[in-house]
Amino acid sequence: MRKIAIFGSPNVGKSVMFSNLTGSYAIVSNYPGTTVEVSRGKARIGDEEFEVIDTPGAYSLLPVTEEERVARSILINERPSIVLHMLDAKNLERMLPLTLQLLEAGMPVILILNITDEAEDAGINIDANRLERDLSIPVLATVSTTGKGLDILKGRIEEYVKKLL
Amino acid sequence: MLRNFYRKIGYDDPLELSLSRLESLLLSDYTLSKRSISLLLLQEDTEILGLVKEREKERFSEITTIIEETKAHYSQPLLLIISQRRQEEASRIARSAISLKEKHRRSIKGYLSKIMMNPLTGGPILLAVLYYGLYKFVGTFGAGVLVDFLEEKVFGNFINPFMINIITRYIHFELLQDLLVGEYGIITLGVRYAVAIILPIVATFFFAFAIVEDTGYLPRLAMLVDRMFKRIGLSGRAVIPLVLGFGCDTMATMVTRTLPTKRERIIATLLLALAIPCSAQMGVILGLLGDKPIGLIVWLGVIIAVFMFIGYLAAKIMPGEMPTFYMEIPPLRLPKLSNILRKTWFRLRWYFLEILPIFLIASFIIWLGQITGVFNFLVKLLGFPVRWIGLPNEAAVAFLFGFFRRDYGAAGLYDLKKAGLLSGNQLVIACVTLTLFLPCIAQLMINVKERGIRMGIAMSIFILFFSFGTGYILNILLTLFSLHL
Repeated sequence: MRKIAIFGSPNVGKSVMFSNLTGSYAIVSNYPGTTVEVSRGKARIGDEEFEVIDTPGAYSLLPVTEEERVARSILINERPSIVLHMLDAKNLERMLPLTLQLLEAGMPVILILNITDEAEDAGINIDANRLERDLSIPVLATVSTTGKGLDILKGRIEEYVKKLL
Repeated sequence: MLRNFYRKIGYDDPLELSLSRLESLLLSDYTLSKRSISLLLLQEDTEILGLVKEREKERFSEITTIIEETKAHYSQPLLLIISQRRQEEASRIARSAISLKEKHRRSIKGYLSKIMMNPLTGGPILLAVLYYGLYKFVGTFGAGVLVDFLEEKVFGNFINPFMINIITRYIHFELLQDLLVGEYGIITLGVRYAVAIILPIVATFFFAFAIVEDTGYLPRLAMLVDRMFKRIGLSGRAVIPLVLGFGCDTMATMVTRTLPTKRERIIATLLLALAIPCSAQMGVILGLLGDKPIGLIVWLGVIIAVFMFIGYLAAKIMPGEMPTFYMEIPPLRLPKLSNILRKTWFRLRWYFLEILPIFLIASFIIWLGQITGVFNFLVKLLGFPVRWIGLPNEAAVAFLFGFFRRDYGAAGLYDLKKAGLLSGNQLVIACVTLTLFLPCIAQLMINVKERGIRMGIAMSIFILFFSFGTGYILNILLTLFSLHL
């Protein structure tokens, strides 16, 4: 079964996205040898079933905290087919370095600009197509708390997996 | 692996040269690209260094040489140089994609957010949240109305008689009958306690907590108390488990897992066990002292003083550095009912699965204590310190039961008060001592589970002596100043 890892810093809506994708069934357990809890669940996207892993919050691929170490270990040991890098659209500039790190590491990234509703309230508009061109990866805008953009995300994941074959 | 065609970030020449030299020495597969691994090596990531040392044995000395040479070439740490370069690139890309407009709304949210974090206005807001959320909703409605209904009506009139009937009909072995449906039976006490008392309290608490969480108030509260918490060796982050403690200390102790350092986890666990009364206990204590506002103030003052003093002491004694605390402050939002219900449900399920076995074990232990006579012996033993802090003998039973069910202990005091056996002073002393006294058996088990057997037992012994010590000192002080509460 292919794996999807949800990656990003704390408080960007990772766990809400996780439950949007997996429904309600999740297994929470300590990552082996640590006290950090990791949730895993299954998601059916198109006609394929994926294992979805909600990684602990990480600001960088160079870990400082135990959570960050676990997040990176998941990338290294679980070899996800897709890494969903979620960031807070209000703080694009501060969170984009992590996207670049993931790309440097050769990870199959889909970039998710989450909390776009609050960004718009704050008067911040992001041109996702422009980012997609600059980074050559899929980029899309979502609001995970309301589920906005979820269907588009599933569609993009399907396309992405087809490209892998 | 899908190739992505993003043009790599270019670093300056010496760094690029080192990177390509390092890449050529890495022969094994690390999942992360060789470039990424090389960058992590240059930033001296211990875990990656160890991994590479293990896999590129004979090439590792050359790798360390390259790292040292590269470091020597720059006056600043490589970590800084690499992240600055990366941030430049990120900023360039981000700025070309962002366009700013006039803000939609003059934000009332911003104003609210400010007054929540300002120490002058934040305090009263916190008190209001605690009063309505905790005291009114959890204490009065959850621990009062709902518990009464479930305990008296559902269990008292229906489930317990029904189970007792079935068990006594089919099992004729009296010991076993007692174990299942006796006064402290697994069904009559263990299951009932978990379902009829803990469940409604914790459910209402989780519900209130989810609302507070969903609005974004918690991080602001964390900021508000961060400075004060630093004094007691904790950071603002500890607000979450400590606030949860007012709902149920056992659950809050589980949540200390979220604290970053071992030192913080130990201090928080100790403070929870000692000075934070859970809602079950608080309900009864408010009932006991409700008609004595002065007594209530004395009780509150002593508990707060103990909290600060022990926290301060623990922070002084325990080695370790000051916790750093940095938290994103998300904007305030209107809570969403579906979110709140979902969060409440998930937590409730998680909590219940963790807690139910503990209650079952506890009722088994009580049953064992009853039939072996250990209980009577313990009551006699507890009689000494109880008399020593100026309380009547009968209070010992309340204290022992308080260990198995904190609110039972307080309820036992209630009976003594009604019987006119306790003066105002004795009542306040008893309430203070009982609040500080050993956590309930479920919490003791969780303490042992989370902190290990040695730490769990050591804490309990300390708490035992400290709670009676405080009662003793309070008794002396009240007598000294001949105060009659």
